[in-house]
Amino acid sequence: MATDNANADGFGEVSRVRGIVFEYLSLGASVFGLVALGVLLVYVSIDAFDLANASPVWLLTYFLTLVVPFLAFCLYSANDPAVTRRALGVLGGGLVAVAAVFTAIETLLVPIPRLNWQLAYLFVVGAPVTAYLTYVGSGERVGAVGFGFLGRLLGGAALGLAVGTLFLVFDSLVWFLAYTLGVVPAVALYAFGSARSVPQAQTAALPAGLLGVVAAVFLRGVVPTYPSDLLIYLWTIAIPVAAAGAFAVAERRGRTAAAVVAGVPLALAAAGGFAAAGAGLPAPTVLLVLVLTGVPTAVYVSRVVDAGEGLVGFALPVLLVGGVVAGALIVEALGVPAPDPWLDPSFLTEAPSQTPTEAGLYPAIVGSVIIIAMVAVLSFALGVGTSVFLEEYTPGSGPLGTLTRIIQVNVANLAAVPSVVYGLLGLGLFANLLGLGIGTAVTAALTLSLLILPITIISAQEAIRSVPDDLRRGSDAMGATRWQTTKNVVLPEAMPGILTGTILALGRAIGETAPLIMIGAATTVFRAPDSLFSRFSAMPMQIYVWAGFPQADFRYGVVAAGVITLLIILVGMNGTAILLRNRAERGN
Amino acid sequence: MSNTTSDDSLITTEVQTESNDESAPPAGAGTAVAARDLNVYYGDEQAIDDVSMEIPEKRVTALIGPSGCGKSTFLRTINRMNDMIEICRVDGEVEFGGKNVYDDDVDPVALRRKIGMVFQKPNPFPKSIRDNVAYGLKIQGFDGDVDARVEESLKGAALWDEVKDQLDSSGLELSGGQQQRLCIARAIAPDPEVILMDEPTSALDPVAASKIEDLIDDLAEEYTVIIVTHNMQQAARISDRTAVFLTGGELVEYDDTAKIFEDPEEQRVEDYITGKFG
Repeated sequence: MATDNANADGFGEVSRVRGIVFEYLSLGASVFGLVALGVLLVYVSIDAFDLANASPVWLLTYFLTLVVPFLAFCLYSANDPAVTRRALGVLGGGLVAVAAVFTAIETLLVPIPRLNWQLAYLFVVGAPVTAYLTYVGSGERVGAVGFGFLGRLLGGAALGLAVGTLFLVFDSLVWFLAYTLGVVPAVALYAFGSARSVPQAQTAALPAGLLGVVAAVFLRGVVPTYPSDLLIYLWTIAIPVAAAGAFAVAERRGRTAAAVVAGVPLALAAAGGFAAAGAGLPAPTVLLVLVLTGVPTAVYVSRVVDAGEGLVGFALPVLLVGGVVAGALIVEALGVPAPDPWLDPSFLTEAPSQTPTEAGLYPAIVGSVIIIAMVAVLSFALGVGTSVFLEEYTPGSGPLGTLTRIIQVNVANLAAVPSVVYGLLGLGLFANLLGLGIGTAVTAALTLSLLILPITIISAQEAIRSVPDDLRRGSDAMGATRWQTTKNVVLPEAMPGILTGTILALGRAIGETAPLIMIGAATTVFRAPDSLFSRFSAMPMQIYVWAGFPQADFRYGVVAAGVITLLIILVGMNGTAILLRNRAERGN
Repeated sequence: MSNTTSDDSLITTEVQTESNDESAPPAGAGTAVAARDLNVYYGDEQAIDDVSMEIPEKRVTALIGPSGCGKSTFLRTINRMNDMIEICRVDGEVEFGGKNVYDDDVDPVALRRKIGMVFQKPNPFPKSIRDNVAYGLKIQGFDGDVDARVEESLKGAALWDEVKDQLDSSGLELSGGQQQRLCIARAIAPDPEVILMDEPTSALDPVAASKIEDLIDDLAEEYTVIIVTHNMQQAARISDRTAVFLTGGELVEYDDTAKIFEDPEEQRVEDYITGKFG
């Protein structure tokens, strides 16, 4: 045919140069920020953990006792020869390459401060390979069990500490009354209504609960004696958590298993609490940590044992603890000089000090945790409320529609207002006009909530808008009221998106300093806040002040330790929120 | 013009005997929905032009016509879904259950609880199959045996055998045709009197569509079904009565399906049906 002749030399070529250039430019743009932040993190970690003074033998010891077994665990879980080959290749080849490049740069160009090639290897090769293998390993059954187990242990402990911290500020006696008079009767009524099909009881549950909470606030000063804090936490938190755990297991395994899974951790936690009280430790926190760690872990173990797969994964925590202990023993036996990290337990539990070695972040950590908890609740409630109103309840046209559009535009503008201006607003409105006090936790929480509110609103609006109209019409056609449609269809579908926006906004709030300075937050406080109206400091404030101290130990070591603490808490908080969000997504 | 057709329809409703559905209830069924001098406007544009018609109960009534002829609009005036469109304005009466649904004392939400609706695109909620079917029961505060009603509705929608082992999995995991039957199950679960269907098979493949058509036949034993369709063969196969709308929202002819397709009064209807117009 004619066309055969025309295409005798093939079809010619189409140039892809521009596309390829664009692809690599995009790659560069996306990597640039990450690399810059990575370099900063490397230096901050070196300072915080005093790694510059770590001898190669010390590094090698822990690499062999801790990192290598962990990587082996991940590879065992992944069970993929190709991945193993690749990992070994990168670890081995990386060693040579990093050492060569590092030495070359140091001898030929400039000396690199505070780094040696062993550390460079650790950060450039060790950390990414570990992260990658963790990801690959956790995808398989054994790894999933190991990380799930470890996550519940660590997460439960962190949650217990966070709840304990919150009760430093919130009145546990009011909580006791509110729980006893409000929550318990409401839940009981609702359960009774569900079990016996009495809809009236279900409807009455919410008003009854609210009535109980209001009564609790009034009775707080009237009731003369209260049980000890330990008993209050046991009754209001430990027992319900155990009951929830029992409930989760009972559906699957029956009552005996449920009693064991919930009862054993509860008994252990109670025993631990009373023992701690006897030993003069903070008993309520011990109780909370034990019960919040124990019950989810027990439920998880029971589930995994039922499934009967990947039981080897339970060895992961043992492996890690064993690695640390073995490393410590070897270092001790060889007499290797160990680094003296700034970020140590006493840094997290002590008050600030004029001496770098004694300085601690405890009051600022408590301050930040309390503020963030309040900001999360406030900005979520206000943000979801506003966005639901703007998206679902306002008409698109007419005078009300115009008003809505004006509000929309202004909310978008508010997101661009500098935070220092919000600080001024907080000072004028909350601190002075409403009399909530200068530099108090509640003023700070309200100010920061306002600061991130526009971001929460805009992202929640986007999430709500992305719910298909088909679903709304489907619900409307069933005879649902607007509220029923919003509650049953729109909000559940939009929730992952709303949570994503809120998580990002909270990350910003936890690091804000300018508005806190404006509302007169203390730069340094020596006692953790004990009420919403006491003076507080926050982590970024404290870090900022330390950075201005004349001693080099403050500017490098202590500040670095503070930054790492701030980041760890931020990552922990975001991680929890992301887990919740993913669960909400799966729930759909 | 429309007056004559409505007169026609009044007469033919009374003598409705022809039905290719052997299980249909005896002739002389009452009127489920009646429109009187109905006009609907979107802003300045008229979407329904002075339509009067009576729709018999426990029969399948098909609304056909070219795109933009107002048949979907007419369907949505029955359960007042047009209220959701801000620029929409309705004149005239739609009588349902002995009451003009546009009277001031009619709560559209309460009205919609008596009328089920199935849309063109299957729109199951992102919930489990059970929760999808139980949705109407839940929002209406149904206090009977929900699970029994879910089973009954899924059987009514010919879906039970396919999903009885996976009631807790998401409704979105079903195929398109199953999703549409799930939507039908959802619509019949609160036991409405009328089911409105807006081109329920146009997004489905022919096999799934024919299952829905069989289902519509069965539904007419218990419910009044009003279906908008683009597919004239479908209207001819499944409906007892057919209303032909033409451009401008005009109801041109409304009669027994057999009469419309074999011997229409109006030349324009014949042109449309034979494909010369539309």
